[in-house]
Amino acid sequence: MSKRYAFHVNMALCIGCDTCAMACKNQYHQEAGIVWRKVYPVSEAIYPHRDRAWMSLACNHCDNPPCLEGCPASAYTKRDDGVVVHHPDLCIGCQQCLHTCPFGVPQYNPHTKKAEKCSLCWERLDAGLQPACVQGCPTGALTLVDLETFDDPSAIQFPPGFPHLPEVGPSTRFTLPEQPKIVRRES
Amino acid sequence: MHESKSSGAQNIALALGNNLSRRSFLKILMMTGAAAALPGTGLLRSFSQEGPVFGRATFAGPGAYQTFRNACPRNCYDTCGMVSYVKDGVLEFVEGEPTSTYTNGGLCVKGYAYPRTVYSPDRIKYPMRQIGRGSGNWERISWEEALDAISGKILEIKEKDGSLLGMALTKYSGNFGITHYGVEGMLSSLGYTTRFVGTPCWPAGIDAQNYDMGNMWCNDPEDMAQSKYIIVWGANPAYCSVHSLKYIYEAKKRGAKVVVIDPVLTQTAVKGDEYWQIKPGADGALALAMARHLIDQGLVSREWVAANGLGYDEYEAYIKANVTVEWGAEQAGLPVDVVKRVAEEFAAADPATIWIGYGMQRHVNGGVNVRAIDALVAMTGNVGKPGGGARYGHLFTWGFNYNAMVQAAPEGSVGYTGATGPKGEFDTGQGADAAATYTDRTFNINKIGQEILDAQDPPVRLLWIANKNVVSQDFDKNKIVKAFEKVEMIVAVDLFFNPTVEQADIVLPTVTPFEDWTVNVSYWHYWLHLNEQAIKPLFETKSDIEIASALSAVLNAKQPGSCTFPQNIDAKEMMIKEFNDGIYQLFGITSWEDLRKGAAKAKLPSSASWSDLKFATPSGKYEFKSEIAQTNGHTALPEYKAGREAYAPLRLLTPHAKHGLHSQFQNLDWMHDLNPEPLVYVHPKTAGAKGIGDGDTVRVFNPTGEIRLKAQLTNNVPADTLLMYEAWFGAKNGFNVNLLVDDVSSDMGAYKTGSPGVAIHDQFADIEKVAA
Repeated sequence: MSKRYAFHVNMALCIGCDTCAMACKNQYHQEAGIVWRKVYPVSEAIYPHRDRAWMSLACNHCDNPPCLEGCPASAYTKRDDGVVVHHPDLCIGCQQCLHTCPFGVPQYNPHTKKAEKCSLCWERLDAGLQPACVQGCPTGALTLVDLETFDDPSAIQFPPGFPHLPEVGPSTRFTLPEQPKIVRRES
Repeated sequence: MHESKSSGAQNIALALGNNLSRRSFLKILMMTGAAAALPGTGLLRSFSQEGPVFGRATFAGPGAYQTFRNACPRNCYDTCGMVSYVKDGVLEFVEGEPTSTYTNGGLCVKGYAYPRTVYSPDRIKYPMRQIGRGSGNWERISWEEALDAISGKILEIKEKDGSLLGMALTKYSGNFGITHYGVEGMLSSLGYTTRFVGTPCWPAGIDAQNYDMGNMWCNDPEDMAQSKYIIVWGANPAYCSVHSLKYIYEAKKRGAKVVVIDPVLTQTAVKGDEYWQIKPGADGALALAMARHLIDQGLVSREWVAANGLGYDEYEAYIKANVTVEWGAEQAGLPVDVVKRVAEEFAAADPATIWIGYGMQRHVNGGVNVRAIDALVAMTGNVGKPGGGARYGHLFTWGFNYNAMVQAAPEGSVGYTGATGPKGEFDTGQGADAAATYTDRTFNINKIGQEILDAQDPPVRLLWIANKNVVSQDFDKNKIVKAFEKVEMIVAVDLFFNPTVEQADIVLPTVTPFEDWTVNVSYWHYWLHLNEQAIKPLFETKSDIEIASALSAVLNAKQPGSCTFPQNIDAKEMMIKEFNDGIYQLFGITSWEDLRKGAAKAKLPSSASWSDLKFATPSGKYEFKSEIAQTNGHTALPEYKAGREAYAPLRLLTPHAKHGLHSQFQNLDWMHDLNPEPLVYVHPKTAGAKGIGDGDTVRVFNPTGEIRLKAQLTNNVPADTLLMYEAWFGAKNGFNVNLLVDDVSSDMGAYKTGSPGVAIHDQFADIEKVAA
């Protein structure tokens, strides 16, 4: 059976430390201003403390990737293991994918005049290694899972704060953050 | 929380805190990425003219790289082992050391920025001379010219004063690699000089643990996984020790309870089971209140204190006479029933531990507060137990030769004749020559501005600064800059044109860990990491000991016998000379070369410190009552000591940041992508009363100075507190928390480190809105 790779973002373990985002830059050296993985703060409407719960997001390597479907240059392919790959040699820099991706994932690089995005480190996967961000995560909050076998009962596909788009089928799974008992000062 | 039924677009907009349409959400997302990368922002090919090419990369396959062992030396609990991947002479990427269970194959946001540190276009490339301090009018000079000017000044001082006491060194934790103590060695090799001694970091707690137990010695952090109860007291590992979190998580998974005590609802706090918002500086009162409740409830481990304690009965008598739970809880601002419940839970759990952070001892009563917390751990019988312990830090693994550091003064050197104490926490006494008539003159490292202003006979004429961004990190920036005007020549050794370099006359370019040979250990975990030279030093950079060696050659050419530092050194040989049999035995290795295969961990008889319950105090017991403390001017018992009186309306806290380590890392453009600007965090109530809105520009001010920056409103901070994380954001940003932090001392630190610490968190300020 083929694999279906996905990121599992366990927000209960995530400390928003940005290690994953920098581990990506460490591997690929994106120019200043270009970030393939970004750790977003969850709003206080969802988690009641500002900048204390986080959603580490990169490409969601969707089941039906709109970037791929909308690309006039066929610069996107989806591998058998689920990884959505952008091919810069085919990209014409039309930025269509920036508009079709409902998650705002592809970025336009003004230096290369092409789009780019998270590759799920397919070169590392093919060498039997973890993606750079996953390997870097110090708390085990970001893991690579195979959706064919993944059965964590805490994991959900559409947490609050994330677009509910079942037809697109983003592969990322989330476990929601927890809250401590809080004793604030009386004086 | 549950899965919301509202639309995804609405939800993800909520995640950003705005009720935005999907379209505007995407716009915001893109602003953080492609749209923000305007044409004209620099490509990474920074050094295409003359250095190796560092540009866009991808993973080239497992066999495509040469790998080297490195270590992050930036004064961090985690002191991570690293593996560097080099291709065609270029450091392409770094990973965490996989053979260390602590680093566990991963780094942190700072460690992963290292390739950018190495190839930053902002690195200092050559020796340079500044015409007019602070002018930015730098001219490139050769190493010969730089060393000629410096050696000329050294000989001139000796001639004029008859000693070299007019030459001073301030150096701390920019690089904790063992060979970097060669900077101290360089000064010793010149004669008797003036040393700024002590540590801004953790001295009050070091003294406290020495009074109580005879040394500072913590359990292996990896054994926190076995704890049944963990109190994280004034530490924020989610920012400052990310690799420790997994042990706390593991303990939680096995059923432990985690309580976080902190003035701020930190990122660590939300990962515990319970958070207490303590009033800053009331840690001692709270620990005493908890102790009182244990006494009242008969929960003290009588057997433990009888067998292993000294002066426990007197401590109990003091508490009964002077402390009530109600009083202590009120001092801390916490409900009595909560304090009682957690005290009971802590006493009932076995083992239970307290992680004592460095933040909580940065107060005028910080040392004695640490003692009160130590006592709480001891009286519940948790000292000396795996999974227990009053965890603060250790120097157990630091027994190197300090070969680069220990250098003899040239024959006939004249020095200081007064009494001096230890020169910092790493002073093993190996450098002291009992027979010598003279010593170095020591000044308080934490009062560099005042000490230079006060120095006479001789004044500080030549100041050498290495491994330290004094003007960013030392206290009362304006005073320091003013004091520097008195100094005839300032030499800074650094990587970047930081605020200290801005005030220097000559800057010498130095190396990153990847261009250096050294060896590193932690003051928290028990791993040993080799640091190999992975790439050739870029441009004209030199390591600290190479600079010392070059200076020695120039001085001896000018005046034979004027410097004893070895000439023509080999950096690798110097690293090898730091090892000894004790280190080999402790780590179970036969040669330093074993470390090329991976990290080694100290072979500990137990994961617990003091597991044999033989303490290093004069009595050999845990000293609830310490005569040494009393002799040194403190109370013999960890009695209540009030905090500093407020001198402005709001408390100002300036703790460690997520994206930087002191003034390192946050200056990099890669880091700006993740954290673009400094902020002051203000409680909405306080902000509201002053008409300050989220994102408004404000002025934070006190008698020491002022800062202008943006405000962020959050109830993570109490209403009476302002919070700013310390950092240097790069040459174009003047943000510096030490414009507002004065140099008032903490209570302890002089005993073991030579100078008291600084009451960094006993600071106060006011805030007002200003036009942007």
